[in-house]
Amino acid sequence: MAVSDTQAVAATGRSGGLAVPSPLVILKKYYSVLLLIIVWEVVARLNLVTPFLLPSVSSILKGVYKATLEADLIRDTALTTYRALLSFCVALVIAVPIGISMARIRVIHWFFDPIVSIGFPTPKISFLPIFILWFGLFDRPKIFLATLACTFPIVTATYLGTMGVDKYLLWSARNMGTSENSLLRKVIFPATLPQVLNGAQIAMPISIIVVIVSEMLMGGGGLGNYIMVAQRFADSVSVFAGLLVISVLGYLLQKILEKVRALVLHWHEETQHESK
Amino acid sequence: MADIVARNVRKIYNPDKRYPVLAIDEVSLEVRENEFVAIVGPSGCGKSTLLYMVAGFLDLTAGEIKVNGKPVEAPGPDRGIVFQHFALFPWKTVLRNVTYGLEEQKIPKAEREKIARKHIDMVKLTGFEHHYPSQLSGGMKQRVAIARTLAFDPEVLLMDEPFGALDAQTRGVMQEELLSIWSKRKKTVLFVTHDVREAVYLADRVVIMTARPGRIKEIVDTKFAGYKSTEEVLESAAFAQKTHQIWKSVREEVDKAGPLDG
Ligand SMILES: Nc1ncnc2c1ncn2[C@@H]1O[C@H](COP(=O)(O)OP(=O)(O)OP(=O)(O)O)[C@@H](O)[C@H]1O
Ligand SMILES: [Mg+2]
Repeated sequence: MAVSDTQAVAATGRSGGLAVPSPLVILKKYYSVLLLIIVWEVVARLNLVTPFLLPSVSSILKGVYKATLEADLIRDTALTTYRALLSFCVALVIAVPIGISMARIRVIHWFFDPIVSIGFPTPKISFLPIFILWFGLFDRPKIFLATLACTFPIVTATYLGTMGVDKYLLWSARNMGTSENSLLRKVIFPATLPQVLNGAQIAMPISIIVVIVSEMLMGGGGLGNYIMVAQRFADSVSVFAGLLVISVLGYLLQKILEKVRALVLHWHEETQHESK
Repeated sequence: MADIVARNVRKIYNPDKRYPVLAIDEVSLEVRENEFVAIVGPSGCGKSTLLYMVAGFLDLTAGEIKVNGKPVEAPGPDRGIVFQHFALFPWKTVLRNVTYGLEEQKIPKAEREKIARKHIDMVKLTGFEHHYPSQLSGGMKQRVAIARTLAFDPEVLLMDEPFGALDAQTRGVMQEELLSIWSKRKKTVLFVTHDVREAVYLADRVVIMTARPGRIKEIVDTKFAGYKSTEEVLESAAFAQKTHQIWKSVREEVDKAGPLDG
């Protein structure tokens, strides 16, 4: 029984990136997180620290459930998700053309290269006061700021990807009659896609971080705001409930992006599952 | 139908940089219409460079190259190239790689699928139409590259060690296929190889290049008339003699290149 179970696990584990894994596999993959939760629960139940500093996991789950019924946690989750995803998508639309044209057009490179090298290492959150001044208090400064922050890694990854396109691919397309103008669509873009997705995978958590931090600092709803308000009311269960939702949200968005990557790059070496 | 004429061609890579490389110097060569010319020479002597210039990918530093009487200015499907490193599109299946050139030539969909499948069959890859290059072995990729270029039927074929990744048996089959296509559809072929026997067997003339900077050392006639079969040619004394002569000549150049000049 035990043997056939592990074999089943091994078999599903190998069956590729897009299949839904069985609960057993998930358990096996995340046992360290599970262990942490159990230790947490035990520590909290033994009253080693006050519930205010460390509420038990079960009370947090109850808190999430209660807050969900009251709909404010749902609203704030939706708000944060909307802001983070919108910023991410807008950044993608802006950054990919900039990255590609930086690699292809001298003037654009000349213009953007210094901006990118100075702007990339600057913590974008420090622009928040100015953005509040310029764009007001609710959605816009948060979305603009997160968009700005996401733009840099995507521009950089796209630029490097485009620079690195194998010249023989371009040559072979031109050899077969592809015009200079359609090279971009037919060769450069597909060849750069893996790096663009690298940039996107770096940008996604940045988007969530910037949105949540600006919500914490300036209110206007969202999970960052939710935690801060709960903390002000000394409601530590809700603080942890908010935290839990944030980490689940971050995890899910990253997972979705991984699936998208596997789908889009089904032709890529990394997606061929025969090894190991 | 086309001929290739190269006059006093010279190529210097990175002429303005700190380490310019004189790759090719004073190369003059005429390849007649429908002629099959092979180029042999030590590694790094500029064989690929010469092919890339005929294909129109690289500017010449001096001299001129004319194809069909017109100076080469840009790449074009009249001169199909098979790259030494295949250069398949990794995001396209075998079939789509082979139909690509036909699509660029505006050949209708049904027609180009038919042509593509015929060529995939010719390189013995039927059953792999829907595989991606990352799922193929080196030799299989090389055969896709050959099928892709032959499919759009260029007048001039530029082949850069096209059989280099194949085992001896597959290589033999491919050589026969190439000869049969060449005799049926009459093309002008410029064929780079490291395999002297292959050069002598396939080509009308074999060009031997010197060690870098590549110049033309000698050109040997390798047409064998009056034999009934391939075997007979390969076993003939004349074939052995030519092969040996060319092999020795190339060997001299390899020795000259030396370990430090790499
Ligand atoms: N892009 C480049 N930049 C600078 N030098 C180059 C470049 N490509 C080739 N070379 C130089 O030009 C010379 C000829 O290169 P080429 O690739 O044409 O040789 P080859 O005869 O095809 O060699 P092989 O048989 O190994 O394929 C080499 O010495 C190489 O160092
Ligand atoms: Mg070469």
